Amino acid sequence: MSFDLNFIGILIGAIMASSVPLILAASGELITERSGVLNLGVEGMMIIGAISGFALMVITDNLFLAVIGSMISGLIISIIFGVLTQSLLTNHVATGLALTIFGIGMSAMIGKNFVGIPGKEFPLLFVNLKENIPFLGPILFGHSVILYFAFLLPFLTNYFLKKTKIGLIIRAVGDSPTSASNQGINVTLVRYSCILYGGAMCGLAGAYLSLIYTPQWIENMTGGRGWIALALVVFATWSPIKVLIGALIFGGITILQLHMQAVGFRIPVQLLSALPYIMTIIVLVVISRDSRKIKLNTPTSLGQIFYKEK
Amino acid sequence: MNTKLKVSEISKIYPGCVANDEISLEFGSGKIYALLGENGAGKSTLVKILSGVVRPDKGEVFLNDKSIKLNSPLDAKKNNIGMVFQHFNLFETLSVFENLSIDSDKKNEDLRLSVNNILKKYNFKIDLDIPVLNLSAGQKQKVEIIRCLIRNPKVLIMDEPTSVLTEQETEDLFVSLKQFSDEGILIIYITHKLKEVLSLCDEVAVMRKGKVVSVSKTKEEKIETLANKMVGENLSTIKKKINNFKYSEEILKISNLNFRSDDPYETNLINLNFSLKKGECLGIAGISGNGQSELFQILSGEIITDYTSIKFRDKEISKLNPRERREYLMAFSPEDRISQAAVPELKIYENVALNNFKSSNFFEKGLVNEQKIKEHSKKILSNFSVNTDNVEMKSQFLSGGNLQKLIIGRELITSPELLVCFNPTWGLDVGAINYIHETLININEKGKSSILISTDNDELLKLSDRICVIYKGKLSKIMYVNEVTPEKLGILMGGGSID
Repeated sequence: MSFDLNFIGILIGAIMASSVPLILAASGELITERSGVLNLGVEGMMIIGAISGFALMVITDNLFLAVIGSMISGLIISIIFGVLTQSLLTNHVATGLALTIFGIGMSAMIGKNFVGIPGKEFPLLFVNLKENIPFLGPILFGHSVILYFAFLLPFLTNYFLKKTKIGLIIRAVGDSPTSASNQGINVTLVRYSCILYGGAMCGLAGAYLSLIYTPQWIENMTGGRGWIALALVVFATWSPIKVLIGALIFGGITILQLHMQAVGFRIPVQLLSALPYIMTIIVLVVISRDSRKIKLNTPTSLGQIFYKEK
Repeated sequence: MNTKLKVSEISKIYPGCVANDEISLEFGSGKIYALLGENGAGKSTLVKILSGVVRPDKGEVFLNDKSIKLNSPLDAKKNNIGMVFQHFNLFETLSVFENLSIDSDKKNEDLRLSVNNILKKYNFKIDLDIPVLNLSAGQKQKVEIIRCLIRNPKVLIMDEPTSVLTEQETEDLFVSLKQFSDEGILIIYITHKLKEVLSLCDEVAVMRKGKVVSVSKTKEEKIETLANKMVGENLSTIKKKINNFKYSEEILKISNLNFRSDDPYETNLINLNFSLKKGECLGIAGISGNGQSELFQILSGEIITDYTSIKFRDKEISKLNPRERREYLMAFSPEDRISQAAVPELKIYENVALNNFKSSNFFEKGLVNEQKIKEHSKKILSNFSVNTDNVEMKSQFLSGGNLQKLIIGRELITSPELLVCFNPTWGLDVGAINYIHETLININEKGKSSILISTDNDELLKLSDRICVIYKGKLSKIMYVNEVTPEKLGILMGGGSID
């Protein structure tokens, strides 16, 4: 074991890569929830994104099409959720759970023919810079374009919600759909859009897993990351920047505890495996203690069905 | 420019209730119009139609002789009709400025400028950059008004605007409304408070059961004439007959009631002793927060205290819970209709079932006997003149008066020997108040007893046989009602003594 600077750089790069699906899915879900919709189908939309991305890559041999296709399929499956909860006024929680179960089953069925097929190498940017600059090189360079996008996304989301008119309208709908409707805002349209956006981001998160992070199809390969993303949104009290911090802590401790297991620390393996979950929650709870801010960021109408008076 | 607004033959029917029945009214700018009616008379439906929130089944709205379509709130805005709802349409977690900017087409800088001008012109003091949830009710209402003013409204509709305001805020609001009216804005003011109509408005239209029953100049009206029009009959001045309770048996005896609370917001009760005879009404007066709710909860069994003795019909009941006390024929009507007496999201018959007791047979072998509960509920609705017969309706759609009738009915249908009620007519309109008062007098005349905890002195003097005052958790001496004057009550409520 050499703990030289370059090794730490590589470690940090790995941590960043492992947190990308969480950041993408959580940022998407954050927008959905900010409009007052609680979509528990994140895991299902992610895994559908993963299989459709991988399948499209195999069929078309085109990574660009595969990535776009995964986003579209995440979006399509979120339409099911949208129609059920927004047009047919079903319960958000039950519908979201059903969506996850549906997604996992559907992906396993489609994925049967794709097990064992090797993935394709995804182009990484600035690879020579990564190798030539010690420490900072492996952190800043040699990543896929999706990783750079993922790390920009929380800041874009923050700006979008706080500074733009559409962001304001989304927050308003999440605060009080009835008031928004009385102000002439089309609540159903806003919520549909946010659901579709969330679906597309979850699809992209899935594609990152099956095309870049572990380029292959394995059944159930999201492995609960969708649930972690959901939990991140809540524990980050609906703040995009805190979602980023939470995802990094989770990714970081996951990677670190794997190394600790490999090195053979005398701590029960089960405890080490539980560490990322525990630490992420502790840190997010500690940094989100300002109850005033929590109140301002929490979408008051979260999970409530909205119907218009006629 | 002069504005003329005319509604013509507007009708709106909800399942089980005609909210608006062929309403026709005309309004012109420069005046303040009152739309007066009891809760549930159809005022709110009419203004929801005018603001585009609800679509009428029939009828037309004309603005300056042109028929306008109001299919959505946007249409109302386009036609310069502004509306301040009774329940604010604000986004609590957004800042004041964000709330204002959300439906404005102006650039942020221009909007800020025009908002600041409005603030200055009408002397409103509001910080634009704090979240709305930090504002008082009066300030929130001002934000709503500003939101209307930004759009240079021709018509401004205010729905029961003073129900959440303090007296000072109400005065300020009236000053502003008169100013708007002088500037040519047509103001429609919806209320059930008669004094406000007389002090603020120029003309008044009275609504009853979905119909307009009278339109007149307020100068020609008095409180009594308006009240009669609103309720639809000559309000009898109810007077309680003197009971022969002095000779009847004692039904309730409370001794050594002490209550100590760790909660700084609760009041400690200190050594209360009193008794109640059959057919008697004991009134407990006082400024709210002097121990009334603690006393109510101890009487109802929500709080159990040590060393207190409560003897009811010769049985010691101080350790029994509310349900067990109901078995002994006590009944309770708590202060807060929505959060303590009923569950607004539940249907009427479900709320009735909540009050179950062994003899009710609402539940058999752990199963709900829906048929029985519904029959029982229907009986309550008709016996206590609640204005619906639909027991499947959610309780939250009942107006305050009807909900209170339902609650009192639920308690009284079992013919209890004692009813304890706490501010039973708070926030209700004249008609409902009268009904509740008649009901309470009625039970005394049947030889049943009642304890009336109230902050309304007129009510206490009207209904009680004996009155005492609670002040800082202590009871004054108990007086017969003919010895009591409002002045005496006032002194005792302020902590003074009379002798």
